[in-house]
Amino acid sequence: MNKQTRKKFLDTLLGGGLIAWLGAIIYPVSRYLVPPRTPDINPDSLDVGKVSDFQTNSAKIVRFGRKPAIVVRDKNDTFHALTAVCTHLDCTVQYKSDTEQIWCACHNGIYDLQGNNISGPPPRPLTQFKINFKNGKIFISRENMA
Amino acid sequence: MNNLMAWLEERFNISAATKFAAKKKVPVFYGTVWYYLGGVSLFLFIIQVFTGILLILYYRPGATTAFESVKFIITKVQFGWLIREIHSWSANLFIFFLFAHMFSVFFSKAYRKPRELTWYSGMFLLFMALGFGFSGYLLPWNELSYFATKVGTDIAGAVPGIGEFVLRLLRAGDDVSGATLSRFYGIHVAILPAIFTLILGLHLVMIQVQGMSVPPEQENLPAEKKKYMPFFPNFAMRDFLIWLIVLNVIALLAVFFPWDLGIKADPLSPAPAGIRPEWYFMFMFQTLKLIPAHVLFIEGELLGILAFAFGGIVWFLVPLLDRKAHQGKRSKFWTFFGIALIVYMIVLTIWGYLV
Amino acid sequence: MKRLTFLLFFLIGLNPVFPLQSDSRDACISCHITVDEDLDDGDKIMPHFYDDVHYEKGLSCADCHGGDPTAFDDEDAAMTDSDSFLGEVTRDMEPEVCGKCHSDPSYMRQYTAHVKTDQVEQYWTSMHGMRLKEGNDKVAVCTDCHGLHGIRAVSDTRSQVSDFNVPGTCSRCHSDAEYMAEFKIPTDQFAKYKTSVHGKALLERRDSAAPACNDCHGNHGAQPPNIAHISDICGTCHVNNMNLFQNSHIAEIFSKRQLGQCAGCHNYHDIAKPTDEFISWSDKSICRRCHKDNENAKELATGLYNIINNLKMQNSVAIDKVENAEQRGMEVSDLQYELEDVHQTLIQTRTAIHSFNTEYVQKVADKGFKAAEAAITGADNAITELLFRRKGLFVASLIISFLVIVVYLQIRSYEDKD
Ligand code: HEM
Ligand code: FES
Repeated sequence: MNKQTRKKFLDTLLGGGLIAWLGAIIYPVSRYLVPPRTPDINPDSLDVGKVSDFQTNSAKIVRFGRKPAIVVRDKNDTFHALTAVCTHLDCTVQYKSDTEQIWCACHNGIYDLQGNNISGPPPRPLTQFKINFKNGKIFISRENMA
Repeated sequence: MNNLMAWLEERFNISAATKFAAKKKVPVFYGTVWYYLGGVSLFLFIIQVFTGILLILYYRPGATTAFESVKFIITKVQFGWLIREIHSWSANLFIFFLFAHMFSVFFSKAYRKPRELTWYSGMFLLFMALGFGFSGYLLPWNELSYFATKVGTDIAGAVPGIGEFVLRLLRAGDDVSGATLSRFYGIHVAILPAIFTLILGLHLVMIQVQGMSVPPEQENLPAEKKKYMPFFPNFAMRDFLIWLIVLNVIALLAVFFPWDLGIKADPLSPAPAGIRPEWYFMFMFQTLKLIPAHVLFIEGELLGILAFAFGGIVWFLVPLLDRKAHQGKRSKFWTFFGIALIVYMIVLTIWGYLV
Repeated sequence: MKRLTFLLFFLIGLNPVFPLQSDSRDACISCHITVDEDLDDGDKIMPHFYDDVHYEKGLSCADCHGGDPTAFDDEDAAMTDSDSFLGEVTRDMEPEVCGKCHSDPSYMRQYTAHVKTDQVEQYWTSMHGMRLKEGNDKVAVCTDCHGLHGIRAVSDTRSQVSDFNVPGTCSRCHSDAEYMAEFKIPTDQFAKYKTSVHGKALLERRDSAAPACNDCHGNHGAQPPNIAHISDICGTCHVNNMNLFQNSHIAEIFSKRQLGQCAGCHNYHDIAKPTDEFISWSDKSICRRCHKDNENAKELATGLYNIINNLKMQNSVAIDKVENAEQRGMEVSDLQYELEDVHQTLIQTRTAIHSFNTEYVQKVADKGFKAAEAAITGADNAITELLFRRKGLFVASLIISFLVIVVYLQIRSYEDKD
C-alpha cells in the first residue's frame, strides 16, 4: 500500500470514527433533552384528586413520597390531610366514618381529625399536611419546610 | 473548506494564528508524559461545563425540590443518570488530575521565572475547583452532603474575628438551610464558572505565549541534544487519544460504580454516623480531628486552620521562595518539601477512611 | 406599691423555705421531727413525707392520723385528748381512712376536675377487698401499691404504680410462693408475663402502651377476668382480631367447650409472639392440639397457612429483588412504598386469619400480592435498564476504542515520515 492511499484510508477511518463518536454523544444528549412523559413530580405538593372524587364523610389513602397519607372529607365537607403512619408501631391508619375519627386497627389507636392521638397506644399525634384547592382539585403539601 | 478559510483569512488574518500553531512544539524527553495532565484537566472541565449545563435544565434548587429533582433526573429523565454520573465522576477525576498536574509542575520546577504568574493562576484554579466540589456536593441535598456542609462551614466559623461573619456569609444564615442551597447553587453554576473560565483562559494564554517549560537539567542541555515534536498534529493527537481513554473510563465508572443519591437531608434529624467530606478534603478534616482540643493557649481547631492557611500561602508563594530554581538549579529542600506533602496527604487521607 | 410587689416576689423567691414555715405551724411535725432524728435512716418518716403528694398539696399528719395539729407543746391535747385522734392506721383501716377524702367527690374536686372517687367502692369488689373484709390483712391495701408516707401521683414515674412499675409491684406478693401459699393460686404469672409479647414490649421496649397487669385485671377492682370474657379484654386493643374471631364458626365451638377465645390458642400471661406455624399442619400447629387428624380442619388450616406463606414468599422475593437492584446502583427507593404495602397487608392477613374463612383471607391478601407484583416488576425493570446501560456502554466503548486505534495509527503515520 502506498503512503498516499494509506493516509486517505486512515483519514476516512478517522472521519467515520469521529462521526460515530459524535453520534454516541448526541444520541443520549438529545434523548435527555426530551422531557420525560411522566409529569414532573412536584414534591412540594401532591395532587390527590378532584374534590368530587371524595364523598362526604369518607377518606382516601394516597401515596405521598415514600409514605402513605390519608385525606379525609368529613361530615361538614371539610378536608383534612395527615400522615397515615401510626405513631405506635407504623401500621397504616384508616378513617372511621361512624365516629369521624382516624383509627389504627393494629392496637385500636384513635386519633382525631387534627391528628391528635386521643386514645389507645399511639404516643404522638399524626403530622398534618397543608391542603390547597386549585381548579376543583386538592393538593396536599408539607407544612413549613425550610 | 478552503473557501471558508479564505473568507475568514480576509477578515481575521487567522493565518497568524495557524502559523503560530504550526510552529508550536513540545519538548520530548522522559518528562513529556507530564504534559498531558493539564490537558486532561482541561478536558474534564469541559465535560463538567457540558454536563453541568445539561443538569441545570432539570435541577431545581430549594430544600423541598433539590433532592427530588436529582432523583427525577436519575430515574425519570432518559439518560439523566448518565449525565449525573458523568458530572459526579468527572468532578472527582477533575480534582485528582488537578492535583497531579500541580505536583508534576512543582517537581519539574516549572514555576520558576518566567512562569510565576502561570503558577499563581493555576493555584487559583485549584482553589476554585475545590470550591466547585464543596458547593456541588451540597446540591443533591442528601443527608451526607447536608451534614458534611454543616461541618465544613463550621470549620470556617472557628476563625476568630471574621469566622462568625464568614460562616453566616457561606450559609446565608445561621444554619445550613434552603437559603444555603440557593447560595451554593449560585456559586456553583454562575460565580465559579465565570471566574474559572476567565482565569483558565489567562492560564492557557500564558502557556501558549511562553511555550512548554522543561526542568532545569533539560534546559541546560546543549541545543543539539534537545528533541521536540510538533504540537500539531503530533501532540494534539496524543492529547485527543488520552482524552478518549479518560472519557471511556468515566463512562465505565458511571455504569459500574454509580454514585448513590442517599436519603434526603432532614435538618431536624441527628447527624448520621460516618459523615465525611469529599475525599479531597479528607486530609485536612483528619488533621483537624487529630489536633488536640487545646494546644498551649489556642484552640486546636484554630491552630489547624492557621497551619493550613500558612501552608497554603507558602505553597502559593513557592516561586518567590525557591531562589535556587531561578538560577536553574534544583533545590533539595523544595523537592523534599513536595514529597513530604504528598506523603502527608496520602497518609492522612487513608487514615481518615480507616477510622 | 413598687416596694410591695418587690417584697411579694422576694417571699415567693424564698419558696424553698416554705416547708419549714408550715412545719412550725404544725404541732405534729414540730415534735415528730425530733423523734424522727433518733430513728435509723430506714425508719425515718419525714424525708419520705416531704416527697408525698399529700404534703405537696398542703395536707399533713392529722389529715390521716387525726389529732389536733394546733396544740403546740401539749402532747395530750395534740393526741390522746383529741376526739379525732386515730394514732396508728392499721391495714384494715386503710380503705376507710383513705376513702374519707378519696370517695368524696365534693372534696376531691378542689384538686382535680376529673374526679374519680370509686376506688374504694371498687376495691371492696376486688379479691383483695373481699379477703380483707373476711379479716385477712395479708392482701394488698392502699399503701402496698401506692406507698406509705411517700405516696406519689400515679403519673409520677417514681410511683410504684406508674406505667412501667406495675408488674414489679404486683409481683412483690404474687411471685412470692411462700407468702401466697395459703391462697392456693399460681405464682408464676410475672415470670410468664416477662417472656410474653406484652411483657417484652412494656419492660424491654419501654412501650408504655403495652398492657401491664392492671390493663387486664383492673386496678382497684382487681379480679381474674372470666375466661369467657377474656377476649373482650384482649379486644380493647386487638379489635379486628376479636371481631373476626367472634363472627367465625369457631367461636361458638370454643365457647361450648369452654376453651376461652383468644387465650385458647394464645395462652394468657405467657402470650408468645405468634408465628405463622400456629395455623400450619406441622408439629407447631395449634389447631392440631385438638384436631388430631381431622381432614376438614387440615384443609382449612393448610389453606390459610398457604395464603400467608405464599404472601411471605412473594414478599421476600420482592425484597430481594429490590435490594439487588439497589445494590447494583439503581435508584429504586420508590419501590419501598410497594414493599411497605406488602408488609402492611401481611399484618392485615395475619389478622384476617381469625375469621377462619379462606376466601376472606385470600381477599385481604390479594392487595399484598398485587403490591409485591408491582415491586417485583419495578425491580425487574430496573435490572433491564441496568443491562441496557451496560449494552450502551459496550457500544460506546467499541466506538471509542475504534477511534483510539485510528488515532494511534494516524500518529504512527505522521511519525513514519521522519
Ligand atoms: C460551569 C460548570 C458547572 C455547572 C453548570 C455545574 C452544574 C451542576 C449542577 C446543576 C449540579 C447539581 C446536579 C447534581 O447534583 O447532579 C452539580 C453538581 C455537582 N457538581 Fe457541578 N457544575 C459545573 C462545574 C463543576 C465542576 C468544575 C466541578 C468539579 C470540581 C463540579 C462538581 C460537582 C459536584 C461534586 C456535584 C455533586 C454531584 C452529585 O452528587 O450529584 N461541578 N453541578
Ligand atoms: S400500630 Fe397503631 S396502635 Fe399500635
